[in-house]
Amino acid sequence: MEALVEIKNLSKKYKDAPRPAVNNVSITIEKGCVFGLLGPNGAGKTTLISMLCGLFSPNEGIITINRKTHQSNSRECKQMIGVVPQEIALYSKLTAWENLMFLGHMYGIKTAELKERITKNLSILGLEENTHQKISTYSGGMKRRVNLIAGLLHNPQLLILDEPTVGVDVQSKQAIIEYLKNLNTELGMTILYTSHHLEEAEDFCSHIAIIDDGKLITQGKTKQLISENDCKSIEEVYLKITGSKFRDK
Amino acid sequence: MKLLYSIYKEYKVLTRDRAGLAITFIMPTVLILIITLIQDTTFRSVSEASVPLLIVDRDNDSLASSLEKSLAGSKFFVITKKNITNEQAKNEVAHGSYLIGIVIPENTSKNLRKKSTQRISKLLNSFTGDTITKDEPIDTNRLQLQLFFDPITKLSFKTTISNSISSIISQIEMQSMATSLNQKMQENFPYASPQKVETAPLVITTEEYASYNNSTIIPNSVQHNVPAWTLFAMFFICIPLAGNIIKEREDGSAFRLLTMPGSYMIVILGKMLTYISVSLIQFGLMLCVGLYILPLMGLPQLNVGDNVLLLFLVAFSAGLAATGFGLLVGTISNSHDQASLFGAVFVIILAAIGGIWVPTFVMPEIMKQISVISPLNWGLEAFYGIFLRNFGLKEIYPELIRLWFFFLATLSTSFLYQKYVRMR
Repeated sequence: MEALVEIKNLSKKYKDAPRPAVNNVSITIEKGCVFGLLGPNGAGKTTLISMLCGLFSPNEGIITINRKTHQSNSRECKQMIGVVPQEIALYSKLTAWENLMFLGHMYGIKTAELKERITKNLSILGLEENTHQKISTYSGGMKRRVNLIAGLLHNPQLLILDEPTVGVDVQSKQAIIEYLKNLNTELGMTILYTSHHLEEAEDFCSHIAIIDDGKLITQGKTKQLISENDCKSIEEVYLKITGSKFRDK
Repeated sequence: MKLLYSIYKEYKVLTRDRAGLAITFIMPTVLILIITLIQDTTFRSVSEASVPLLIVDRDNDSLASSLEKSLAGSKFFVITKKNITNEQAKNEVAHGSYLIGIVIPENTSKNLRKKSTQRISKLLNSFTGDTITKDEPIDTNRLQLQLFFDPITKLSFKTTISNSISSIISQIEMQSMATSLNQKMQENFPYASPQKVETAPLVITTEEYASYNNSTIIPNSVQHNVPAWTLFAMFFICIPLAGNIIKEREDGSAFRLLTMPGSYMIVILGKMLTYISVSLIQFGLMLCVGLYILPLMGLPQLNVGDNVLLLFLVAFSAGLAATGFGLLVGTISNSHDQASLFGAVFVIILAAIGGIWVPTFVMPEIMKQISVISPLNWGLEAFYGIFLRNFGLKEIYPELIRLWFFFLATLSTSFLYQKYVRMR
């Protein structure tokens, strides 16, 4: 399959940090796949995602998105990406509708089209009755669902999800995962997903990469990784590769 | 469209933030009302008829009435006459009921006239060789008026008042001497018709405020406090603005916005335009307080001068500087608490230095020199220029340039800090 994202020999060391946050990582994400990026806390996932989004420049290596780089085509690269941060990146004093209208306009979507997309997405995720309520009145699961919609209003080619189901109830988690699966299968949207829910990752992701201490430990198709490591689940593979030592720093 | 939506978003966020609105609009209104009322007496004491003065008149003759007339004519005093003892008068002044007390002893006018006559006789007799024999013996001590001052009276003010009273008394003495001279001349030359000696001062001074276009607006607590506390409030918006920036950073909104194509600059621009508009609304509101609310409380009405457009240009420039400062505080602070504390303390220091609390013209020389580093002082000087001196753009442009430079410096520092420190 054709690659959407190619990361080659990527390294990033923060000033004053003792070692690189990302160390010579190379990953390929194919178009239309759901790619799980797993690793313990402080492994370098957030730094890698930040560079992929164009927030930081790497010290070494290159990232191409649909054969374009942030250095030469920043605007186009950013337009191809949708980001759903781990935090609820919404304005709590605004309603869901106001938040999504603002963020959609920031992506340059025309008002009529934007209204249509917001209405449709809120309806799919069961929020149509709460459209004009302030975000501060929402439950954790409702906030997560609006947070997700905000990242895909502009129909990105690559949707980056940083722990999209953390802290939500089972019903909301189910709704979010089903919605993402539909986006992937029906629209062919490529998804990059990070999570500490390894069972969820195994169920959801077609491909998985595990990084630890800034280095890529392994990557491949989910089922292939399980069988190659002679394990029963991704969780076993993960523990086998990363060990059970705490990563407190 | 992006910019409009960004401004609309900021407007919505701001108008739903009750604490932010209170800081932005209610705080300066309350400050202006309270501080203006408190400072009104201080400003009046140097500018208007408000010095309470007690006269104990046991003379009941021409000196007392001339003195009272002259003091009243100076429009400097609110005069009360009482028939009490010296000790009682002293007590009333000591308790602060009056700032000054004057006791005029019995027969002062009579003795003054006699003394004047004696002096004139002595002078004329020295020409003719006669001796004074028919004059009644009079008290040879100098005539004495007793002045009491409230102990809180500043030395400079006490000296000014003493000099004024001495000057009035000198004139009365002079008139008395002239009257005696006229009488003696009449007695000595009964068939002549000499002209009366004129006692009007030979040297007079003219006074006016050295302002442009013959403006004679006198500084008062309203003319100082309205622009001063409006500027303070404008700079205080650094707290809600910095809080807004930090919240976006903490809740991931800044991260999301930074991943959007070219949007974050528009978001920042939207914030700036919104908060500059807030500054202008604050300014308009405070002008209304000065024009319509303060007079209802017995305070003078704010005189806005002749150039309202220029006033709004100064307000816009101060708003720019305040917004730049808010962006800087929001960028370099790591938490909302840090921004609130740092922003508030820094604005209070800049206000104190800049003459917001105590006008720079009553500050010691060293503080006057230090005050020029405060952007609040630049704004205040520009407002003073327009309000009190009828300055135009040509005169106040150095203050405007300083405010714009401050804005550019804080804005550049924010972007450099964001780029090279936060993103390193």
